[in-house]
Amino acid sequence: MKVYPVLIKLLFGLLIVLPLVAGLSYALSYSLGLSGLLSKGFTLDYWQKALTSQNLWVSFLYSLSIGLVSVVTSLCIAVSMALSWNKSIQQGRLSYFIFLPLCFPATVMAFLVLQWLSPSGWFSRIAFELGFICSLNDFPNVVRDFYGVGIIFCSVLLITPFFTILMSNIYRNENLLELEKLSKTLGASSRKTLRCVTLPILFKKSKMTLLLFVIFVMSSYEVPLILGRQYPQMVSVAIVQKIQKFNLNDIPLGFAMSVLYVLLVILVLVLFGKPSRKYLKPNIK
Amino acid sequence: MHKPIITIILICFLGCKTDKNHEKNVDLSDWSVVDAKGQNQSMNMMMWKGDPKINAYMNDFVLPKVKSQYGIDVNIVSGQGNMIVQSLMTELQANKSESEIDLVWINGETFYQLRQIDALYGPWTSVLPNTKYINFDNPFIGKDFQQDIDGYELPWGNVQMTWIYDSAKVKNPPQNKAELLDFAKAHPGQFTFDNHFTGLTFLKSLLISFAENPKELYGDFDEATYQKYSQQIWNYINQLKPYLWQEGEAFPENVPQMHQLFASGEIWFSMSNNDSEVDNKINEGLFQNTARAYVPDFGSIQNSHYLGIPKLSQHKATAMLVANFMISAQAQAHKSKPEVWGDGSILDIENLPENQKQHFQYIAKRRYAPLRSELDQNALMELHPEYMIRLAEDFRTKIINP
Amino acid sequence: MISKVLKYSFVLAVVFPIVFLLGLSLAQQWQFPEILPQEWTFQHWGNSLFKQGDILESLFLSLGLSLTLASLVSVLAFFMSKYIAYSKYRQQYMRLTLVPYILSPVVLAVTFQYYFTVANLSGNFIGVLIAQLFFALPFGIVIFNNFWNAHLKSIEQLSFTLGASAWQSLLKVILPLSKPAIVLCFFQSFLVSWFEYGLTQFIGLGKVKTLTVMVFNFINEANVFYAALACVMLILPPILLLYLNKRILILAR
Repeated sequence: MKVYPVLIKLLFGLLIVLPLVAGLSYALSYSLGLSGLLSKGFTLDYWQKALTSQNLWVSFLYSLSIGLVSVVTSLCIAVSMALSWNKSIQQGRLSYFIFLPLCFPATVMAFLVLQWLSPSGWFSRIAFELGFICSLNDFPNVVRDFYGVGIIFCSVLLITPFFTILMSNIYRNENLLELEKLSKTLGASSRKTLRCVTLPILFKKSKMTLLLFVIFVMSSYEVPLILGRQYPQMVSVAIVQKIQKFNLNDIPLGFAMSVLYVLLVILVLVLFGKPSRKYLKPNIK
Repeated sequence: MHKPIITIILICFLGCKTDKNHEKNVDLSDWSVVDAKGQNQSMNMMMWKGDPKINAYMNDFVLPKVKSQYGIDVNIVSGQGNMIVQSLMTELQANKSESEIDLVWINGETFYQLRQIDALYGPWTSVLPNTKYINFDNPFIGKDFQQDIDGYELPWGNVQMTWIYDSAKVKNPPQNKAELLDFAKAHPGQFTFDNHFTGLTFLKSLLISFAENPKELYGDFDEATYQKYSQQIWNYINQLKPYLWQEGEAFPENVPQMHQLFASGEIWFSMSNNDSEVDNKINEGLFQNTARAYVPDFGSIQNSHYLGIPKLSQHKATAMLVANFMISAQAQAHKSKPEVWGDGSILDIENLPENQKQHFQYIAKRRYAPLRSELDQNALMELHPEYMIRLAEDFRTKIINP
Repeated sequence: MISKVLKYSFVLAVVFPIVFLLGLSLAQQWQFPEILPQEWTFQHWGNSLFKQGDILESLFLSLGLSLTLASLVSVLAFFMSKYIAYSKYRQQYMRLTLVPYILSPVVLAVTFQYYFTVANLSGNFIGVLIAQLFFALPFGIVIFNNFWNAHLKSIEQLSFTLGASAWQSLLKVILPLSKPAIVLCFFQSFLVSWFEYGLTQFIGLGKVKTLTVMVFNFINEANVFYAALACVMLILPPILLLYLNKRILILAR
């Protein structure tokens, strides 16, 4: 029976490690001028260009801040919903509606946000009919805007339901209701209980998931493709554009960026990842 | 370090490699051979699919015709210039013996890049019987972005860029740069251009308008000339910028997006590289029928678009048969109907044989765009692709992200 | 009272997008500042369901792709995660697994597209399936990861002690116990594939036209009404799944 472990290891290597290593080495060799039809041999030019380009760092920082803001915003909404509607989320009719937004893929959600929030969108029409604005140019610009409000709004819509369910599950699984009661019996006020008992536990149990979601939002592609603008750009969009747009000499630059991005993600995981904990715990009874 | 890894992976993958060589040792310079070999096969064509009318022309006219005439199945794949370059480049790099793509719709800088990486088959166009009616003497057809086409691509259609405006909101559309600036100042947020081919074509025509003589910019790319005039163009755009849509902080990503903004009333102008676009879009119901097309006094760029065959295609004969049909009088005439696509023909219609000329006789005139003969007066030549690449780069660094 | 109002407005806010999409797919002309479309039509639906059929074709292609992928992932992830969970190096394995799990699929696709071209895997169904597997499998393993615990292991040990063969233990003990996890993994990976765009477009070269790819094509054409129609088709299966079992959707993204 020694075949079985070998087989599994082989599968793991072939399906998980290999694509990553292969992709990374190809991107690396391309960015170093070692492969590619127009390559002229080894050069560090592209890396130098990539690392010193303001564009790349802006892209990373922009993505990171959009990720952080989206996750924090959703977290606030999710915690308040989970705490105030705890019972109805777990069972009852409301539970179906909590899950409903999860049926929307990023593409559809981004399309919807565009149809709602653009200056000629649905909300603007309502504002116009109600007399709040006199022309569609008065409508605040939140789609394809500098601060990525559209992207953040869309990401929040996408991840809040998930967080709500997660928080509600932690609340139940950690017996928080009992703990809250205990804390109150011991004389703590509701506010203090929330601050010193409920929130710390919720946060502690969901830390890793939150981190993963920051990275998820950071790397998202479909949403910024529809709701983003040319500058600043989110990482995935910037990489794909570099590799696909007019200038063939930009391709190695795009690959350098992708290597950098992958390394960054690996670094975050090595530093903070404690994979055996309870993050992303599926709700199986 | 990575070389051995790549080799190992290649070996892993080689197991699934199945290459068929249909066309070894076939003489494609003999049309009768092409005709015999090309029939009853299937092939892939990669083209821009951003316009419902164009898609419908291909799906409802070209595809059924080549199927019934030659038994050829054409599978159309979506992909614009850069995607075509990317795909063919990867194939060449991977030393493939067979391309996934057999016919591509290209022009200008895509042609330039594909020639740069030697991805195109050729020369092949003179083999096609219908080529003899093409008006190669017309510099707008015989030259593609100042480059000789040398038989590596086949002219398919000819268009001129027009500006589109809403005549209900704009009474006197701006005719020159000063008027445009005044107009934008008086009506901020109503004008913009896209961040893709059409917008770049707009920038090119501006660039030409700064030169005393357009001929200065024709021919190969010249750094000094570019510097001289590009400085002026960015100064001008920077003056215009605060009065553009979204204060010039963002631009529509492509033409369909800009059309959508125009249709919903968010902007008063749109543009198109296809001079009959305004008729198309009014017929489709996307634009209101107060939309009109025009060309400002300083002119706009006229260019042609072409068909190319990838070097690694294994269905070259099939692609040639299809291409030959696509430049036939019948297909060209149908394509030029405003209700179909409205694309300009590259054929020399005057010199067509009588029986073919008739195809062009009963084409309804378009209603909302000026006649082609009027547009010709204001036609500017395309510039060398390097100008466009530089404009795109500078546009990004000087305007979008200063 | 306020809580009730909030709840109802929440329900409304959640149902509204679906109604909106449906309305948009039935619209013909809808210019600013009309709140409702100026003209309604069933033409888009008629065209795509009966006349052109390309959306319908995409629907079946997507279904085929996602179902195949989900089955593949469920089987592979089941055995691999079990091995990993009981291995000494669980932490290391899981860390490695998390890398493709959280990377942007489209960036992954960009970096390994070359190999797919070499292997004749770009632009076809099998290629897209394999590419999706590369990032859906880690997903499956992560889902299973928490399922294998000491309790389950002791049950398995017990079955061996009582004389069951490895095969019997798997079939009679482990599989029945892990049914919920398998179902979860199946539907999760189904949705991962169902929702995927960037990677499918890149590896599929636009030739593998899944429903999500279609939606994007329509958005790129600024073909709003058809885009809305394809969106409706895209969200219907997940809603059906939700109705069947709401729990399976939790990890969908």
